[in-house]
Amino acid sequence: MSARTARSLMATLLFGLLLAASGCAAAGTPEPSPNDASSTDLVESPKKFDGGDVSFRGEAIGEAMVRGDMAWIHINDDAYYMKNVEEGAELGGYNTGMAVWVPAELAEDIEYFGDYKHEGDIVEVEGIYNAACAEHGGDTDIHATALDVIEVGHDVVDPVRPDKVVWAVTLGLVAFALYLFDHYWRRGSEPRRR
Amino acid sequence: MLLRPRLDDHLVIGKYTGKVIIGIALLMVIPLLTSVVFAEWDTVLDFAISIALCLIFGFGTQIACRTERDLSWSHGLVVASGSWIVATILGAMPHWLSGHEGSYLDAMFDVMSGYTTTGLYLLQDLDHISYGMNMWRHLLTYAGGQGIVVIALTFLFKGTAGAYKVYVGEGKDERLLPNVVQTARAIWLVSLTWLVIGTVAMSITGLLLGQEPVRAFLHGLWVYMGAWSTGGFAPQSYNTLYYHALSYEIVAIVVMIAGSFNFALHWAVWTGKRKEILRNVETVSFAITLSLTVLIATFALAKAGVYPDAMTLFRKAFYQLASGHTTTGFSTIYSRAFVTQWGPVGLIATTVAMAIGASACSTAGGIKGMRIGIIFKAFMQDIRRVISPERAVVSSKFHHIKDVYLDDGLVRTTMTITIAYLAMYGLNAIVGAFYGYDFLQAAFEGVSAASNTGLSCGVTSPTMPDVMKVLYIGSMWLGRLEFMSVFALGGYIVTILRGHK
Repeated sequence: MSARTARSLMATLLFGLLLAASGCAAAGTPEPSPNDASSTDLVESPKKFDGGDVSFRGEAIGEAMVRGDMAWIHINDDAYYMKNVEEGAELGGYNTGMAVWVPAELAEDIEYFGDYKHEGDIVEVEGIYNAACAEHGGDTDIHATALDVIEVGHDVVDPVRPDKVVWAVTLGLVAFALYLFDHYWRRGSEPRRR
Repeated sequence: MLLRPRLDDHLVIGKYTGKVIIGIALLMVIPLLTSVVFAEWDTVLDFAISIALCLIFGFGTQIACRTERDLSWSHGLVVASGSWIVATILGAMPHWLSGHEGSYLDAMFDVMSGYTTTGLYLLQDLDHISYGMNMWRHLLTYAGGQGIVVIALTFLFKGTAGAYKVYVGEGKDERLLPNVVQTARAIWLVSLTWLVIGTVAMSITGLLLGQEPVRAFLHGLWVYMGAWSTGGFAPQSYNTLYYHALSYEIVAIVVMIAGSFNFALHWAVWTGKRKEILRNVETVSFAITLSLTVLIATFALAKAGVYPDAMTLFRKAFYQLASGHTTTGFSTIYSRAFVTQWGPVGLIATTVAMAIGASACSTAGGIKGMRIGIIFKAFMQDIRRVISPERAVVSSKFHHIKDVYLDDGLVRTTMTITIAYLAMYGLNAIVGAFYGYDFLQAAFEGVSAASNTGLSCGVTSPTMPDVMKVLYIGSMWLGRLEFMSVFALGGYIVTILRGHK
């Protein structure tokens, strides 16, 4: 193979790889935030909203971390607050949301917190937004005085895709065959011991 | 005259690259088992497919590249840099199959970010990913911190003389013990001891903060891995802001500073030389530059009145700057808060901290404290030379495990690597600005990628131009391997194309 042909082949291969790697970006219309002042707005304009009353709605994710009479919860108002990727939602960027400091008894009303196996409850909190909370080491948070569960969450079904099973079995068998071939070939080529 | 590599050269490179990829397959067994435990069957299949692909590549190369030849220096460097690329392409498979990545390029971005302990990510809807996938993300960064070649050296290489050459190619040149495989195992001994202590400390803290036992353990393990490897990945999209606790921040700071120290320093302390911490050029340099950058950021934030009191201000400034300087990338503020609250001076102070980075031969990135120390000493030596009598012999030394005298060769090598880092930081900033990002933000993000830090001010996102994604992948790779082995790979490709028979 001439150097020119090798160069052309390598350039085509690299271009093809890049095209293949970047060419399958998802398209679609992600769910917009349900809030007048979204979490993005609150972070982008901290001075405008700092110390003011806010109403904030979104999916409760993770868990409630109870600290005495109060608890920390996290509410996402991102593209996945109604339906997450595991349920087939369009990709719509990073998660975004707000940390909420709420009375523990109110946090107990939340039945589902969002994670891989659950779409969390959609809740709405009312409270004061702090761009840099004096009580909590400068964290950006909402101190909520009221919490309503708007929609109870649910379990997310994790179906096993048959095509993945076929791929896993086929590729596994090929890998095992190569292992056996490598193992016995190597053993066969080693000098025999007495 | 450039000589074209012979068949035997390709075989030895293929054989050892294959061994590293078999190591990646073995690593994937851990997230697979995690998913089995939590009955995440779709994720189990993602990892089964990925393991099979890695093994096909690994065993395929063992069969196709059968040779008894040992590695030369250039082979070692090519294997180290080349295997990181192959490991990224194959390691991205679980990310892509999860459905949380916009493209395969995005998946490769996340995996390279993990291996290089950077911490930037393009994965979407992180708060809904499986435990298995989260285990893989953090394992990537933990394994990358030790060096994926170190893993292969520990378990798969049979102590060949050439093994040291791959080890050096991965950006680690400290030989803690006479044998390189023993050195790799010593690195694991230190890391695993810290793993147990760090995970227990973080899990107990998580429990006390109100987490369920299983989540407290998993979060403790993952945050520990992110901190020790100076990786900066965290299991929730809120990063370490999620925990809202000073106690969690203190444990994280201790672990990330420990992780940013040179393995030779760890080994010295491990073997009883505790005073080394106070004398080592890297710890001294780190303490000085961290103090300066914290001071600058604190002053700017105080002037802007962002935080309500001095203690809060110091807590926020120290955490973000320590995270940036150790090139960890944990944060307790929103990414965009660097722009909307911290302002230009805060951005610049953090950028400088990230650019300097931590210790050589550690899990950290950046120019490194050792090089800053050497450049400073060389500068002072030159000043002393100018003001000393003409015949005076002016010498200078620094302390790293033992006293080392400065010579021109050492200073030249140090300057070469430093200039390479600065050029890469500059290129990333200019390309970012070319695509319409604010220059300061583009510089912040570009330095973050190239110094393997992972702090973001919002530039990195799934909608970022593909050219910038590719540039950042290259920067993370170059920054982690400290250029030389990547240059060797480039030279190898050139000799294939242009070399004489």
